Amino acid sequence: MEWEKQLHQLADRLNYIKDIFPGKHAEDISELENGLAAARERFPDCAAAEVQAGLAALEDLFFRTECRLEDKLTPMDKVRIVRHPQRVCLRDILENVYDNYTEIGGQGEHTNDPAMVIARAYITRKRNGDVYHQPVLVIGHEKGHGEEFRNGGSAKPWGNAKAKHYMGVAETEGIPIHAYVFTPGGYPLEDYPGAAQQIAKNIYEMAGLTVPLIAVFSEGGSGGAEAISLADRRLMLSHGYYSVISPEGAAAIEGRLRGGARASADLVERCARDLHLTAEDNLKFGYVDKIIQEPVLGARPYHYEFFRTVRQEVLRATDEVVLKARGLAPLRAAMLRRLRDRELNLDEFFVSWKLSRAARQRLVEMRQNKFIKASYGEVRNTRSVMGRLGDAWSEQWWEIYNRLIYDLYQRNRRTFGNVVEEVRSEWEMFKIRVLKPWNKLRGKTEEVAVTSEEELTTLSDWDENSRSGWNWVSKKAREDRAVSCPYSAQRGCMDMWAPDLYDEFAGVCSTCGHHFPMEYQWVMNNCFDEGSLYEFNTEVEAGNPLNFPDFDAKIADAKQKTGLKSGCITFEARIDGVQCVVAILVGSFRGGSVGVAEGSKFVAAADRARRKRYPFIVYCHGTAGIRIQEGTHGVIQMPRCTVAVRRYIEAGGLYLVLYDTKSYGGPVASFLGCAFYQFAIRSSDIGFAGPGVIKNTTGIDIAPDHHNCYKALSRGHIQGVWDRRDVRVNLRQALETMGGRNLYYR
Amino acid sequence: MNRKHKVLIANRGEIAVRIMQACKKLGLEFVSVYTAEDVSSGHVALARELGGEKSLYRISSYHDANELLCIADEAGATAVHPGYGFFAEDFRFARRVTERERSLVFIGPSWRVIRDLGDKINTKRLARSIGVPTVPGSDRPIYDELEAEKVARTLFEYQLQQGIARPLVLVKASAGGGGMGIEEVYDIDTFRQVYRRIRNYAMRQFKDEGVLIEQRVTDFNHLEVQVLSDRSGRNPVHFGTRNCSIQSTGRQKRLEVAPGFDPSSIEYGFDAAAVLDEITQHSLNMARKVGYDSVGTWEWIVTRDGHPFLMEVNTRIQVENGVSAAISRVKGQEVDLIAEQIRTGLGDALGYTQDDITFHGVGVEYRIIAEDPDSGFAPWVGDIDRFQWEERDWCRLHTHVPSASPEKPYTIPTEFDPNLALGIIWGRDLAEVSANGLDFLEHLVLEGHNGKGEPLKSNVEFLKKKTERMLRF
Repeated sequence: MEWEKQLHQLADRLNYIKDIFPGKHAEDISELENGLAAARERFPDCAAAEVQAGLAALEDLFFRTECRLEDKLTPMDKVRIVRHPQRVCLRDILENVYDNYTEIGGQGEHTNDPAMVIARAYITRKRNGDVYHQPVLVIGHEKGHGEEFRNGGSAKPWGNAKAKHYMGVAETEGIPIHAYVFTPGGYPLEDYPGAAQQIAKNIYEMAGLTVPLIAVFSEGGSGGAEAISLADRRLMLSHGYYSVISPEGAAAIEGRLRGGARASADLVERCARDLHLTAEDNLKFGYVDKIIQEPVLGARPYHYEFFRTVRQEVLRATDEVVLKARGLAPLRAAMLRRLRDRELNLDEFFVSWKLSRAARQRLVEMRQNKFIKASYGEVRNTRSVMGRLGDAWSEQWWEIYNRLIYDLYQRNRRTFGNVVEEVRSEWEMFKIRVLKPWNKLRGKTEEVAVTSEEELTTLSDWDENSRSGWNWVSKKAREDRAVSCPYSAQRGCMDMWAPDLYDEFAGVCSTCGHHFPMEYQWVMNNCFDEGSLYEFNTEVEAGNPLNFPDFDAKIADAKQKTGLKSGCITFEARIDGVQCVVAILVGSFRGGSVGVAEGSKFVAAADRARRKRYPFIVYCHGTAGIRIQEGTHGVIQMPRCTVAVRRYIEAGGLYLVLYDTKSYGGPVASFLGCAFYQFAIRSSDIGFAGPGVIKNTTGIDIAPDHHNCYKALSRGHIQGVWDRRDVRVNLRQALETMGGRNLYYR
Repeated sequence: MNRKHKVLIANRGEIAVRIMQACKKLGLEFVSVYTAEDVSSGHVALARELGGEKSLYRISSYHDANELLCIADEAGATAVHPGYGFFAEDFRFARRVTERERSLVFIGPSWRVIRDLGDKINTKRLARSIGVPTVPGSDRPIYDELEAEKVARTLFEYQLQQGIARPLVLVKASAGGGGMGIEEVYDIDTFRQVYRRIRNYAMRQFKDEGVLIEQRVTDFNHLEVQVLSDRSGRNPVHFGTRNCSIQSTGRQKRLEVAPGFDPSSIEYGFDAAAVLDEITQHSLNMARKVGYDSVGTWEWIVTRDGHPFLMEVNTRIQVENGVSAAISRVKGQEVDLIAEQIRTGLGDALGYTQDDITFHGVGVEYRIIAEDPDSGFAPWVGDIDRFQWEERDWCRLHTHVPSASPEKPYTIPTEFDPNLALGIIWGRDLAEVSANGLDFLEHLVLEGHNGKGEPLKSNVEFLKKKTERMLRF
């Protein structure tokens, strides 16, 4: 019976509505229920025409109600839409948007990560009767329609590794990449590789990928989303969300819930609103470029019109990106103008997606610029106009100076030096030859070294200052108390007296070497030459760009407590005379979380280091991740800072990261984790998510040393573990031996 | 001196006994500690006898500063005497004791002095800065290979000039200690090799590449100057010299003679009296310079041709303090250096000058130890059944071993060094003291057995053998 099937579909739609509006809009839902029940009762006895009319009326009622509800959608409703098992998934898109595809990197349950699907797909376009097949690489999270093994689209580290691998393949083949982001977040497990490490590598890879990259967001959960979405063009489905954290997670933090307690629905709703995670918000902030309109109440697999829209939009985006990077300027402009025409059917249009080498470079540069500039408007910088002018002027001056010194002089220095050396040697030989007879006549022989007793038995002049203590001593060293090592039971450590421990021992247990946490000032003041610190960008202040409720007071409180304006300190300093740029992420400022201010300072520091050709050292005193109260403004710092880092590294610098205490979350999974040279101070923890979050999201109880720096070392995340007392020596050693050839002292 | 002070004796064995006796003599109260292994030790018995049960505290380890300070607070102690060993030369302990909220008097030098003189490089530089002779060589860590080689070459040539047939250079890691990272170079051409080896070792072990290069002095006598000063640190006095050249393997002293040389009965190849005078004057100068404010020992080596070199300073009372006391008289009275240390340490002025101190006779101290000199001085483990000696007016014996009998033997604790007793013998001259010493050792009864029923082994025979040539080169 045709009408029974249709009624069944309508019942499905009703259930869907019930699912996404739990406990809301009761009268609308009951109206639909009543209509459906009445129809079920009436239809068996009706004639066909009457059934048709009744069905049409019912459809109409459903459509009208859905449209009404669509207008009342709250952000949390959208989150529920996105999470619903009936939501379109990547496989639907592959089947309906592309003309042909093959999954690579495994299929279904038997792949190395079913939550990450890679496919070689083809798009067939016709122009004037000619047929063009255009290959693309599709990378995306596969949520499936509720299959358990898909893990809800949360990709494991090896899934991200797979994605990175195939990005490389696409680059070799020169085909564009379409990335579909359907993830609630990365799977927070530290394994081989670790989650943070792999995401960082992915972001770093994408920051320099030489093929067009189009990302489509449906569900963008922070780190997991960033792992494949550093794209030239970011599209977003109108009912999707893109956020730093799930609303429930934010509510748990806001409500200070512990041990898996659930936040109230009201609080979650409020958090979802305050996080500004919808497509419109993100378009307004500029973190996505375009919204793809979905059908009413979200796209489901039977919305074929929607897939056609998606196809048009991804084609348009790819064409635009390719054209922008390539071709003659006037022609390109004309093409772009034509593309903007909505009526144009892109299936009957053809743009070759091949890019020349120069165009590829331009493409990467444009992508990097796009991300560097993101969230630029949100920075609160209280520096005066004159100050800014001065900065700009000094930057210009540095540019000129560098040109003179490095490009003109240094390049030819070796040749010049060789010539001078040769001439001098010749001159010496000549002198010896000429003066030999004369010296013989005088009977002058070569001087013999006189052994002097004095030299061996009297005081030599020697500056002993290097042997005496630390420049900066923690306040904790003033307390008269004994401190016991947390490992005293296992390792038999004696209790230490606080003044000894925090002053002379530098917070290191004298028996087992456990490092007690110290303030960030310790490294800042003890590991660089005294008096060589010059802080810059001091006027950038951490703010509250989303106007998150109650957050102004918290930020003010953190500022007052630490005496800092943001959680990132950037300065220039010297280590044994070698100039370097240093950024410190301060663990005591809002847990070391990174927001717009911190990200901007970091980017500025990387840029400064690049311009001046200084080594760039980041001391991560501790970080809890991205500052959730800044929402997407925070998340965007991950790709943004990584782009800055990549630019710096590719310019031939030395980027070195040193972790201390606890470092988790976004920063580790992006601009810190992507460094080639990462070291940790002993007893520090490094990871993607803390133990509590892992328990909540995966249900796994981790071992206490799961995040330990030695584990990170064995995972290959970091390159070494340093003793705090040796940081200065090791840094110096690193400056001498690591990094690119473009450093000023090379 | 304030007699209300209460002294925590943070040590065991013979020195604890001596400190208790000194406190008793000075009329001071004391608190004593012991560990489970030391329950039957003589110092516990004596503490019980002199101070009563409440002056005794049982602790888990003599090394645990927290526990000791808790006991000091609990018992209301106002001063700490560290004895020798354990915390005696630990400047951190001294600093903690004096700088904690409930501060105590540390009976010993102030912590800065301990720190400065505990560092050999620092001591050497201090000595050179006031013209005290030190071993030729560098007085600072050398980091540069070329410079190191230059110093080594100069040292070789210097030794050849001095008429040393087989010059030796010592390369040591400046951050090392306890014999780690030291090598001799006898062929200057192998210097670089050795230098690099030591440097790499030091880099690995101590994270510091610095290397010291010194002349290796062979064939020398080990002399010490006993210095005492009050808290003002301005007028130190000395209690003569000691010769501690007779040592076991591993450079542990076994027999000490005071004074250091005896020119009246032995012919030396140099002016021995002048050398003794020189080293005492240098020691006092240096003590004055650093403001030394307690008892301490300046250690010297004197080569066969009479060149003294300062080696190091021991900022503590030493085991062999009794032998210096035995040959000294202050204003004609006998002197107890430990009592003097406590008295001055608690703030008393010295009350006499160098002119009031006179020396007479020769003293020798035997360290009687249960060990086997024939197999590398390995400590002997077991029970003591009998330990008796003859009381003589020229002999004094300090021991913590309680009177033992075959029915009630004393088990030597294995956790500590096996020192049993110090026998201090005095004689008018060297011949007499040798005779007295042999007499003393002859009449010493030391018997025991271990678990297998084997008889006790001790170094008495070794000491007898060494008595005959105790002051000769």
